[in-house]
Amino acid sequence: MGTTPSYTEPELVKMLKARDEQSFSYLYSNYSGALYSIILQIVADHDLANDVLQEVFINIWRKIDSYDQSKGRLFTWMLNISRNAAIDFLRSKAYQNSKKNQEFPEVLHVGNGDQMTQMNIDNIGLKKIVYKLKAESRVLIDLAYFKGYTHEEIAELEKIPLGTVKTRIRSALIQLREHIK
Amino acid sequence: MNIEEYISSGIVESYVLGLTEKDERAEFEKMCLLHPEIKAARDSFELLLEKQAMASTVQPPDKVKDNIFAIIKNESLSSSRVITMSEPGSIQAPVAKINWMRYLAAAAVLLLIASTALNVYFFSQVNNYRSQYANLLAKQEQLASNNNSLEARLQSFESAIAMIKDPNTDIVKMPGAPTSPVPGSLATVYWNNRTKDVYLMVNNLPNPQSGKQYQLWAIVDGKPVDAGVFDTQTALTLVKMKNIPKAQAFAITLENAGGSLTPTMNQMYVIGNVET
Repeated sequence: MGTTPSYTEPELVKMLKARDEQSFSYLYSNYSGALYSIILQIVADHDLANDVLQEVFINIWRKIDSYDQSKGRLFTWMLNISRNAAIDFLRSKAYQNSKKNQEFPEVLHVGNGDQMTQMNIDNIGLKKIVYKLKAESRVLIDLAYFKGYTHEEIAELEKIPLGTVKTRIRSALIQLREHIK
Repeated sequence: MNIEEYISSGIVESYVLGLTEKDERAEFEKMCLLHPEIKAARDSFELLLEKQAMASTVQPPDKVKDNIFAIIKNESLSSSRVITMSEPGSIQAPVAKINWMRYLAAAAVLLLIASTALNVYFFSQVNNYRSQYANLLAKQEQLASNNNSLEARLQSFESAIAMIKDPNTDIVKMPGAPTSPVPGSLATVYWNNRTKDVYLMVNNLPNPQSGKQYQLWAIVDGKPVDAGVFDTQTALTLVKMKNIPKAQAFAITLENAGGSLTPTMNQMYVIGNVET
C-alpha cells in the first residue's frame, strides 16, 4: 500500500462519511484482504466469499453514518459486518439448499485458473488460532463465532446447560486472546 | 463484581467479537463510558485482533472491487441529487453550476450561429471578389492587347513619318487620270530610291464595291508591273506595297479582289509620273 496515502482512522471515517470515494478506495485496498479472510473462514468458498465481500463493502459505504466511534474501532465494526454477512449467507435458504446437494469440504481454492493450490481454511487467520485451543473450547468458538449459533442453540446442540455454554465460551475467548498474543 | 474481574471475565473479547447478547452489550457500552480502564481493555483487544487479522489477509479477486465501485458510483450519482434536494446549504452550488453550464451552452450555440453566418457571408464575399478579380484580369488583358496594337500602330506611324522625312524618299503624286471613273481621285506614292521600298497613301478614292480591290501598278519602261493590292481603309495612312526597283510612273486600277495580272485600263483611277 506504499503509494496510497495513509489516513488516521478519524480522518478516514470523516472522509467516508462525506462520501469521499478516494477514501473508500483506500479503505478497500487496506482492509479487503483481512475481511475477505474472515469471510472465507466462515463460508469456505471463493465464489461465495466474493459475493459476501461485495455485499460487505456496499454495506460499509451505505451504513458508514451508523458507525459510532465511541463503541469501537472502525476495523472492529467492519469485521463484525463481515462476520454477520457471512453467517447470514450460511443461513440463507439458497445456501442451505445448495448444501443439501453437495457436502462442503472445508477447503478453499487459492490462486487463479488452472494452477489452483488447495488451502485448508483451518490454516488461516483466527481459525488457525482457534485450532490451537482445547477441543472443547474449539467446538464452542466454532459454533458461536464461525457458525453464528446463539447460546441457546449451542446449549441444545451440545446438550449442556445454557449458563455453562456462556461460561465456557467466555473462558475459550480468554484462551484465544492469549494465543493471539 | 469489581472492574478487574469484569475486564477479565471474557466480556471484552465477547463484545469485540460480537458474541454478546443484546442486554450484555448495552451494559458493556455503559461500563466503557463509566470506566476508562474498561474502554482501554476493549481498545487493546481490538488492536490486537486487528493486528492479527491484518497479518493474515487473503487477496480477493479484482472483479469484486470493480463491482463494488461500479455500484457505489451509481449510488453517489443518484444520491447527489437527493442531497441537493434535502440540504438547503448545498442548493446554491449545484444550481449556480447548472445555470453557469446553461449560459455556457447558450453562448456556445450563439457563437456557433454567428460563426456560421460569418462563414456564409465571407464565402459569398470571396466569390464576389473572385469574379471581380476575373473581370479585372480580363479587362487588364484587353487593355494590354489594345496597348500592344496602339503601340504597333504608333510604330508604323513613326516609321512612316521617318520614311517620309527620309531625303531619299521620292514623292509621286497620282491625281485622277483623264479617263478616271472618278476624276477627283488622288493618291500618293512614297518611293525610297535607295531601298526601293514603296509606300502608298490614299488621299481620295471611293470605297470599292464588294468583290473589287484597288491594285497599284508601277510603269516600268511602258509596261505595268504589279505593286500589290490594298484596301482603302488601311491605305488611308500609309501602306507598304511591293518593292519596286525601277519605275517611271505609278497608277491604280480597280480590279477583281486579289488583283489581276494586267491592269484593266478603263478602270484606271489615278496615275502619276516619277519626277527625275
